[in-house]
Amino acid sequence: MGSRYLIRKVVGACLTIFMIVILNFVLFRMMPGSPDRILLRNPNVTADAMAAARIRWGLDKPLIPDQLVDYLEATASGDLGFSFKFHGEAVTDVLSGRLWPTVILFGVGEVLAIFLGLALGAYSGWKRGGPIDYIGNGLSLILYSMPYFVIGILILGVFAVGLHWFPTSGMLTIGGGDGTFTSQLLDFFGHLALPVTTVAIGLIGQYSILMRSSVIETLGEDYVTTARGKGLTSSRILRSHALPNALLPAVTLIAINLGYVIGGAITVEVVFNWPGLGTLTVTALEARDYPVLQGIFLLLSVSVVLANLVADLIYGRLDPRVRS
Amino acid sequence: MTDRGPVASSAPGADDLDDAAAVAARAAALDAQTLIRGRRQWPLPKQADPNAPLLVVDHLTTRFKMAGGSIKAVDDVSFTLNDGEALGIAGESGCGKTTTALSLVRLLPANGRIGKDSSVKLFGIDLAKKSEDALRRYRWREISIIFQGAMNALNPVRRINEQIAEPVELRLKVNKADAMKRAGELLELVGIPARRGQAYPHELSGGMRQRAMIAMALACDPAVVIGDEPTTALDVMVQAQILELLERLRRELGLSLILITHDLSVIAETCDRVMIMYAGKVAEEGAVNVIFRTPRHPYTQKLIGAFPNIHADRRTLDVIPGSPPDLRDPPPGCRFHPRCPLAMAVCSVEVPPEVTFADGVRVACHLYPPGSAGVPITKPTKDALVRPPDEAAEGLGAGVFGDPHEALEQIEEEAQPGAPFTIGPSHGLTDDRSLDDIP
Amino acid sequence: MTAPAVPEQSVRNERLRLRLQSIRSFARRFASRPDGVIGVIVLLVFTVLAIAPEVFVGPLQTATSASGPSLSPPTAANLLGSDELGRDILNLTIHGTRISMVIGLLATIVTIFLGALVGIVSGYVGGRVDTVLMRITDFFLVLPTFVLALILAPIILDIVGADSEFFGIRVTLLVIVVVIGVTSWASTARIIRSQALSVKELAFVGRARVIGSGPRHIMWRHILPNVMNLIVANTVLVFGGSILTETTLSFIGLGDPFAPSWGQVLNAAESAGAMGLGAWWYVVPPSVCIVLVVLAFTLVGSALDDVLNPRLRIRR
Repeated sequence: MGSRYLIRKVVGACLTIFMIVILNFVLFRMMPGSPDRILLRNPNVTADAMAAARIRWGLDKPLIPDQLVDYLEATASGDLGFSFKFHGEAVTDVLSGRLWPTVILFGVGEVLAIFLGLALGAYSGWKRGGPIDYIGNGLSLILYSMPYFVIGILILGVFAVGLHWFPTSGMLTIGGGDGTFTSQLLDFFGHLALPVTTVAIGLIGQYSILMRSSVIETLGEDYVTTARGKGLTSSRILRSHALPNALLPAVTLIAINLGYVIGGAITVEVVFNWPGLGTLTVTALEARDYPVLQGIFLLLSVSVVLANLVADLIYGRLDPRVRS
Repeated sequence: MTDRGPVASSAPGADDLDDAAAVAARAAALDAQTLIRGRRQWPLPKQADPNAPLLVVDHLTTRFKMAGGSIKAVDDVSFTLNDGEALGIAGESGCGKTTTALSLVRLLPANGRIGKDSSVKLFGIDLAKKSEDALRRYRWREISIIFQGAMNALNPVRRINEQIAEPVELRLKVNKADAMKRAGELLELVGIPARRGQAYPHELSGGMRQRAMIAMALACDPAVVIGDEPTTALDVMVQAQILELLERLRRELGLSLILITHDLSVIAETCDRVMIMYAGKVAEEGAVNVIFRTPRHPYTQKLIGAFPNIHADRRTLDVIPGSPPDLRDPPPGCRFHPRCPLAMAVCSVEVPPEVTFADGVRVACHLYPPGSAGVPITKPTKDALVRPPDEAAEGLGAGVFGDPHEALEQIEEEAQPGAPFTIGPSHGLTDDRSLDDIP
Repeated sequence: MTAPAVPEQSVRNERLRLRLQSIRSFARRFASRPDGVIGVIVLLVFTVLAIAPEVFVGPLQTATSASGPSLSPPTAANLLGSDELGRDILNLTIHGTRISMVIGLLATIVTIFLGALVGIVSGYVGGRVDTVLMRITDFFLVLPTFVLALILAPIILDIVGADSEFFGIRVTLLVIVVVIGVTSWASTARIIRSQALSVKELAFVGRARVIGSGPRHIMWRHILPNVMNLIVANTVLVFGGSILTETTLSFIGLGDPFAPSWGQVLNAAESAGAMGLGAWWYVVPPSVCIVLVVLAFTLVGSALDDVLNPRLRIRR
């Protein structure tokens, strides 16, 4: 029973990834930066050199199926082409160097936001109309209306520029500390603190609004009336009946919003000059380094699809109805 | 809070239901698998008066605060429930029958309030005066509810047996393993194999879910079980099975039951007494066999007339013209007078007093002034009570030729508040303001 | 030809009366939502600023027309200080209102048009069309659309050329409009589809089909009016979202320096290192405007949703 659900979700995710790769192929072909056009801009390139380059890039073959098949093969083997900007370095290498700072920043921020946001939202929804609800909901709405980078700029201005509590940019102080592992680790956390806070604050508003309305909706369900009828304490009703149900739509919505959230989180890296995929995106954008941009898009899309798959699996564990 | 029963001796604030001895006695009884033969075999709560009737409801009034003022959904309703008795409460949608029942344990939406003069005395203990927290201890322990629509009333993400064991464990302070065992026994009692308790609500059929709901209501051996439309939304065969089950449980366990339904046949089959409600007030109340044979209130007569009966000529099936009043602005005097075929001048001015007759029937109607012997002051003609046959038959097409149990439901659909009294199928988008559904 | 004139007139009057009545009742219900009313007031103020920024702060200052000192804190001459080129921040912020709002509005129109079209067709036609359209919709829902927008914008710009103009609007801005629209219609389509599905089941749609109305006629005359409430509330919410996306895209560097929106001003502040220099006046005014406008849209949108779609409202 459970395996059917699992298989359906995995197949769905694979299909989506395949669609992403195809989209990437189409974008690559319509791209003004695709190799022959780049070469065309250079007046010194001879027709022979052009033809040679086209052959080398496989552009002389028909678009479908040959080029498509080549592209799929290359992508599957991890070959995402070469960067224009970074001296012809392989895109895969460029990305892998920038991946883990983003994973740490975004991962920690996301986990913090999920816990705090869901807790705040659940409490607000439960104590609807109370002081915490008013303040929490108002604050959440304001945070929800702020672009991440605005939150980042304000936090940067106050805590780094104004109060000098934290460094303003980067991930490590160059030549700073006494070189020991502990001091480097502390230095890293010092740099991480503000961007992580920014990502978390940016997300908390959303998650809390989402959870609040989900809890309020759940509290109106008949089974909550049953639980009240059973004479359970209100904290037991919340913990054991309302929350397990209220979490279900929250899990789905958080997963679906991931794709949107990642885009916003990129800008946080720019504000704090965090050497991750976000700053790489902006650098690549300025240089019109399409292969790198494409690689970033592919990487982020696939990550989001995988995250959604994980969310689906969590959902399957939380809701017995989808298992059968 | 200040209300102390005659035997009250515990410190103020401490609740008698927490009495360790009483809890232990009941828990022991569960272990011994004793079948329940009426609530009184166990120690009563300390505040209880052993000689008091099981449940006496007096002047119950329930208001809902709405945007445009407040609604009296239940208005000065009084009734009694004796040990082992089954009382049916009937009436059209929105007459306040469900609200009446939920008011007993104040299981009302946030905008619902019970009037100051209301009293709900269980073993002589006035629940209406209890604080929310004190009242909580009586819920399910002493008054449990079989909710309508078990699909929604059961938590979709928890196993059936966990949900049944939950009140046993938390309210009777039984350990988890024993509570689960008890849940299994309860399931067997209502005709579900104990191992099916592992299932989630969606994995059971509608009838099974309703049985599980009944098992859950019995979990703490409550003094009173309220069945809120327990058979609505089930198909006819399953309805019959559930009613049979309730009947059997009542016989075996000596259950005291309040059954809310719009289906008079259910009441006829399962109840000892019936209370007919109209627009939040009691219209008529008494023994089932008396009321069904000689209904006195014109509304009761109409209801019973609208109910198909094997013995009666089916073509004379009655329909009640008009619709229940909007409770935001109820008509003055008797609330039924705008629809009453026998309305007199006084009916639109004065609220009729409740009069009790020698046969125990209580009626609120100007046809029966205080001191009357139970014969109406004007004898109603048959024509006044029964509509022309062709018209009636047309209006209740489905009810006549289809399932008789649905007849009254059909009327209710026709009689949506705000909808004109029309003939033919109801057409979707009506504004259903029935009070039972107040969010 | 002359006979039906009178009844037609009275029918029209009756229709007008009914419409007025429903507008009045809508206004009354909306007025009972203080958050929505505050949102409307905020939006009205910004609309006035967007329509006639010159009235308040004169023409838009450019690098050549700027006269103030470089990065000056707020003074009597520059109420909100100046940027590194000597442009008045108040001037930039007020003019940014028009650009941000116009891009937001156009992007919203594209989004809602695509979303409503896909939603209605998918919901009404059903079957295989529905399956395919919803598969695509879900694809766009999962996709990191902002990153897609980041890639699409420069591609389109490189293809059409950044300096051209369409109908007096700079193509950079139009590309942002299109990119936002193309990447954010999916959730609108989902919402509208589910409503279209239930409207489709209503009796009058069946009757229309029986009397031989074609699918296009039914979708246009029967389904659309019945999902209109949903579209209206969704439009307001999407508007706020579009402004947010535009701001972020501009901040990343895809905006037009010659038509500075709020995001573009913040991008300039970031490049000038304003925050590191402690030039808070450069950053705060556009930020406050963004938050106010987006918040106002959210408040109005959810109030409208409650008032127009009571059936969908969360039960209390």
